[in-house]
Amino acid sequence: MVTPLIKRFSFVERIVHWVVGITFVALLATGLAFAYPSLFWLTMFLGGGPAARVLHPQIGVLFGVGILFMFGLWVRDMFLDRQDRAWLGAIKHYATHDRDNVPPAGKYNAGQKLFFWVQSVLAILFMVTGGLLWFPESFGATWLNTARLLHYASTLGGGLFLIVHVYLGTVAYPGTARSMIEGTVTPAWAKLHHPRWTGDRVDR
Amino acid sequence: MPDTLAIKRISASPSALIPLASLRSGGPVYSKLVDISKCIGCKGCEVACKEWNDLKVEQTTNFGSFQSHKDLSSNTWLLMRFNEVELGDGDDLTWMIKKDACLHCEEPGCLFACPAPGAIVQYQNGIVDFNQDNCIGCQYCVSGCPFDIPRYDKETKTVAKCNMCIDRVEAGLEPACVKTCPTNAIEWGIKEDMLALADKKIDRLRERGYEHAAVYNPGGVGGTHMMYVVPHGDRLEDYRLPAHPTASPGQLRGLNVLQRVGSYLLGFGVISALVHFLAVGPERPEESV
Ligand code: HEM
Ligand code: SF4
Repeated sequence: MVTPLIKRFSFVERIVHWVVGITFVALLATGLAFAYPSLFWLTMFLGGGPAARVLHPQIGVLFGVGILFMFGLWVRDMFLDRQDRAWLGAIKHYATHDRDNVPPAGKYNAGQKLFFWVQSVLAILFMVTGGLLWFPESFGATWLNTARLLHYASTLGGGLFLIVHVYLGTVAYPGTARSMIEGTVTPAWAKLHHPRWTGDRVDR
Repeated sequence: MPDTLAIKRISASPSALIPLASLRSGGPVYSKLVDISKCIGCKGCEVACKEWNDLKVEQTTNFGSFQSHKDLSSNTWLLMRFNEVELGDGDDLTWMIKKDACLHCEEPGCLFACPAPGAIVQYQNGIVDFNQDNCIGCQYCVSGCPFDIPRYDKETKTVAKCNMCIDRVEAGLEPACVKTCPTNAIEWGIKEDMLALADKKIDRLRERGYEHAAVYNPGGVGGTHMMYVVPHGDRLEDYRLPAHPTASPGQLRGLNVLQRVGSYLLGFGVISALVHFLAVGPERPEESV
């Protein structure tokens, strides 16, 4: 007998997510290279300093388009409800795997929803400040230096949340990553992580 | 051979903040001294600059000024700006000429802002030089410079500016503009000597009635290696000389702090994830089907 699986992410959702994910990592690598002299070698992966400087903003545009699509695809599911707020109050039980004290999550738990909103807001900051830095001739020194500061601050926020996001999506919760790769999860995974969510069952 | 090309600072390296000590101490520290009161406006220095540095000639147009080009460019590293100013309320129009080129700051804002290792180098002798081979074209130096000097070249995607004819200086010669000036309005020598000369010039100008004559060697950038003697030291803005330039705008200093905080924050993120994994471990769904 084959185990029935549950469909979690459509093909389009997965493509959009990985466009965002891969471009973001490329942006993080080149951006850190520009911020930290000791990490300048990271530009190597995109063909060296000058090439990285040309590509960084272009990849940024791709990231921007990607995250805009992502926002449109997922925003409906991302509003926090009463149980989500309770979930946030019990976040320490979630972190210690004390499931009996974790309010049941829907398709996304409150942490995931907040991650979505944080990344969306940061994306706007990235775009605006990055746009300024892309066309430096058009703006004065004060604007540019402020933009550099904000661009960098948003990177830190985005980077820190990304570390948590990747950790939880891969090693911390086995069975999660496949949702973004094959698009399906097992019923046991869904019951554990998203009890209030009932996805469509598909045959293997 | 004097120690003319010992390095002091390299962009995007620890030496950008903590200058390297000269290994062979006592090398010469140079400065230009531009005496505006002696400039006759011949622009020979502009030609000499183009010629020595092999810079492309740009078509100029008459825009109602004695000035040759409207602005500096990646191919025009020196521009005599003929600022037209009415002194007093009479109709006596005066040229408050500014030799617009890199001032070679002791604390160069361009170098502090640069993220590309080795794209900007400062020598112990005072020269700040751009090394286009290492330039990535981000133009942060442009916003870091308090004098609006570096210019971006769209074709080469790099930034350029006056290099103080470093190849001449290295060989013991004076920069081309100094060599060519027919009135010695541009002098060249050891910085201390130039400061002493400036004092003499100021005394003479004061005798002639320019009571506000002054030397321009702004402390906000640690002093410069191109200094000016200005007859109207009380009207710096008319020369287009910033009264209080600073090398490290507050935002840049903020950036340095943020970068330090950031490295701890991201490191903290990775370590937390690792510790969580080791302490709590993965949570596997029970596959009971
Ligand atoms: C590059 C490494 C990344 C990996 C390995 C990764 C992995 C994953 C996985 C496995 C999921 C599915 C979670 C689930 O089924 O509940 C997911 C969802 C999601 N990802 Fe990523 N992702 C990455 C990068 C990014 C980036 C850069 C962003 C946005 C800036 C992002 C935004 C999201 C969002 C908003 C969701 C849905 C909500 C959530 O699960 O938090 N991801 N990711
Ligand atoms: S004048 Fe501008 S370009 Fe020249 S050294 Fe100072 S900051 Fe750098």
